[in-house]
Formats: sequence, structure tokens, C-alpha cells
Amino acid sequence: MIILENVYYKYEPERIEALRGVSLQIREGEHLAIIGPNGSGKTTLIRHLNALLLPASGKITVGGLNTNNPKHQADIRSLVGMVFQNPDNQIVGMTVEEDVAFGPENLRLPTTEIKKRVAESLARVGIAELACRNIENLSGGEKRLVAIAGVLAMRPCYIALDEPTAFLDPAAAKRILDIIDKLNTEGMGIIHITHNMEEAALTQRIVVMNEGRVYLDGTPQDIFEKVVMLREIGMQLPRITEFLIKLKESGFPVRTDIVDMEVALEQIRILTSGIKD
Amino acid sequence: MYHTGSFVKGQSLIYYLDPRLKLAATVCLSVFILWVKPPVVFITGIALFCAALSSGISLRTIGEAVKPLLFFIILILFVHIFFNENESGVPIKNSFPGLSFSLAGLQQGVLVVWRFLCLIMAAVLLTMTTAPSQMIAAIKYFLQPLKKLRAPIDEFAVMIMLSLRLMPILLVEKERIDTAQKARGYNLRRAGFIIKIKSFLSLTRRVLLGVFRRADELALAMESRNFQRGDRASFVELKFTCSDYLVFFFLIFFLIIFVALNSHFG
Repeated sequence: MIILENVYYKYEPERIEALRGVSLQIREGEHLAIIGPNGSGKTTLIRHLNALLLPASGKITVGGLNTNNPKHQADIRSLVGMVFQNPDNQIVGMTVEEDVAFGPENLRLPTTEIKKRVAESLARVGIAELACRNIENLSGGEKRLVAIAGVLAMRPCYIALDEPTAFLDPAAAKRILDIIDKLNTEGMGIIHITHNMEEAALTQRIVVMNEGRVYLDGTPQDIFEKVVMLREIGMQLPRITEFLIKLKESGFPVRTDIVDMEVALEQIRILTSGIKD
Repeated sequence: MYHTGSFVKGQSLIYYLDPRLKLAATVCLSVFILWVKPPVVFITGIALFCAALSSGISLRTIGEAVKPLLFFIILILFVHIFFNENESGVPIKNSFPGLSFSLAGLQQGVLVVWRFLCLIMAAVLLTMTTAPSQMIAAIKYFLQPLKKLRAPIDEFAVMIMLSLRLMPILLVEKERIDTAQKARGYNLRRAGFIIKIKSFLSLTRRVLLGVFRRADELALAMESRNFQRGDRASFVELKFTCSDYLVFFFLIFFLIIFVALNSHFG
């Protein structure tokens, strides 16, 4: 379990307050989306989860280990893997396998174990065939997968992803989302920053950040029901929810707390069968 | 296109040799090339050339490796031809006022250029057939004794890896800013000298800012993957195989023959 208790953080030297009393609990195996306007503290928040940033006040524990304790930081970083927004700024190695090996090398594992983990991680994200490829010759989507594999090689319990589908074409984005979903099904906790409401709707829980605070926290249905509150901070709804709201506003008796396409179709089927009758 | 010093994938024997053997052999060979007398240095060069061709390195690639250094090669030759005197100290022919063409200078120049080309060939043979990670592992291996003096060998290896990784990013960053300037109608060709200097400084500043920002992010990413000062394990396994021993004894054998030849000519 990751527990954040009243966490504050300021960026020096501008003294910009990025987090203002954030309290959260993230369970193991949970798939959590963090959404919010730019500058709301999403990235700052997830950087606290693997002790890259330390709270100015408040407390964060990961599996009972306090991030403020320097002795725990290496263990915390093995527990919570971090995938940055731009893979080019995260990839260290010249080739795919060299980069994936970077984390296990830091853990001082034997060479045979490192090789085993590299092969295993590349297979998990479906890029085993790219092992010997030069990083410079990969597409944006492939680089993201390399970054995810690099984190998986450290065998974390949680993986925090900062906008993993940003700037990707729909096919590459879907590939990444499928992998995230598969990892979650295997029991890994996922903390996923996104600006895409459809992506957020696929998770179990959404935390909406605004001005360094937790603005809303709940299931996708709970969150997307609070239309006025979301619009107040400039957030949009999933297109399917927007469509159902428009239907309701036009006088059709439909539910508006739906974020899933299949459920929405069912609603429309019921509605049209009523019209036929 | 081949860039001098870059690794090119291949399948020949030399690719599969232990990087420590290749690195040590290249260092010894470089000293040997600078030390031996003319007839032997020419034979060494031809042997190196044959080794390069048999490793699957084409003449074109060798040409591309030499191309960026062509100016220095011509300069070396020019300096020796025109600023050297023959054995008696008398110039053979006055070509230009103040410059004298000397046959001994020409001989000396050709010899120096040949040695230089041999060194380039040895370096190309090493870098082209050894993956950067293997090379770093070999350098780290040879620097191990310095660990006793608390030299940060592991950090040094990571530094080499990062500089090799960041070099292309630096070029991409420069290209990106350059293109952005052109897209806004900026034409440097029509600009005067001062404007060109100003533009260069501005470009340098932006590239550096971008690189520092990336370096900051990279440092965070490395930290998030548990990078700390001190010992690290290695993904690259260094193992001397049968073929390494064979090549090692083969090189020793040739070294003895070449040294004998060198003393014979001396």
C-alpha cells in the first residue's frame, strides 16, 4: 500500500507550491488514473511515489517504508517503477537490451539473472525481437515500450506512468494501453497520468488534481457524474458520457454516469426499443 | 553511411572476439606502428588492410572513415614536403618563394601519412567490430586496478555510455532549433558576418539549454532506476573463448616475426 499523508511540496527557488496537503491511499494491484489541468501537480505527485522528490512536510510510505528515510529509498525505487513522459529522456543504453539491463545492473544482480530479467521484460511488453536494435532506430511507441520494459526488469509492485500515450498514433497508444491493462491483470499496481478521458475511464479509480490538491477522488462513474465540478477546472468528459448528457438534455431518459461504450450501447438499445414500441 | 568510430553489425570472426583482446591488441599495434622502421610498417599496414577486408569492412567504409581526416592527412604531407630539408640540408627545388620541395621530406611525409592511415585502420577495425557496451566493459576491465586508488571506474563507464547516448540527441536538438528558425523565415545565407555570429551564439545557447534540461531529466530517470555511486553489475559478460586464445597466440607469433624483421632491416 502507498500512503500519502498531508503532503506539501514547493519547487525552489521560485517557491511554487506544487502540492498542498495531498492525502491518498493506493492499494496494491489498483489501477489508478491521475487527471487534472496542466500545472495541477500530477507529475510532482507521482515523482514523490518513488522518492525522486521528497515532501517538504507530510509523510509518504510505500509498503511501510518511509520515502524520507535515505536507507529505504533504494528499496522504494525497486517497488515503484517510474516511466517518464519523454522516453528519450529516460533511455540510457545504446541498444534496447542494454537499456533494459540498466536497472538490474544498478541492483548488482549476477549477469545471468540480468540477462534473464531483460529477456523476460522484453517478452512481457512484446518487443523481444528488438533486443539488439539501436535506440535511435526505434519509433516513439517502441521507445515507450523499451522504457516500460526497463522498469519491469526491476520487478516493481507498482508502476507509475506519466502520460504514456502522449504523442502516439492510435495504434501505438492502444498497444501501450493493452500492455498496461495486462500488467494490471497480472497484479501490478498502475498509477497512470493522462489527459485522455477515455483512458481514465478504463481505470478502477480516478484522482482529479487541481492547484496541488486532490480535487476529486472516486470511480470513473462517480467522477464523470460531477460534470459541473469538472468543467469548472476546464476538464472534459469521455465522448460517450458527453453524448449521453446531450441526449438527456434533449429529453431522452438515459443514465449519464456511463463511461463504458458497451453499457452506453445497451442504454441506447433500450431507448430505441422503447421508441419502436 | 558510416560515421568514423561507430559500430557496424557484422558476422565475421573479429566481431566475436573478446573486446579486451581487441582493445589490448589495438593499443599494442598502435605503439608498434609508431615504433617500427619503414619496410615493416608498410607490411603491417598491408596486413591490417587485409584484416579489415577479411572482417567484412568494405573499401568504401574505409574511405568514409578516412574522409573526415583527409584535410589533416594532406596537411601532414604538405608540411613534410615543403618544410623539410633533405639529408644534406639543401632543398632540391624551389617551387615557391620561401618554400622548398625536398625528396627526403616527401619520403618522410609518405611514411608519416602511412603510419597515420595504419592507426586509423586499427581504430576503425576496433570500433566498427566492437559494440559500445562491449568496449565500455573492456575499458572498465583494464581500469579495475585503479579502483584500489578509489577511482570511480563504474561512474566513468556510465559517463562514456551517456555521452555516446546523448551525442545523437545533441545533433537532433540542433537540427530541431535550426528547422524551427528556418520555418519562421530566417535565412542565414543572406545575413552578414556579425548576424551569423549572433545567430550561432543564440543557437548554441538554446541547444545547451535543451541539453541541460534533458540531462536533468535523465539524471532523475537514472535515479528512479536505482542508479547510485559505487559498484554496478554488468550485463556484458567478458569471456575468453578458444578463438580468443587462438587469435592471441597468432598475434604473438606475428609480433615476434615482425620484430625480427624490424631488427633485420634496422
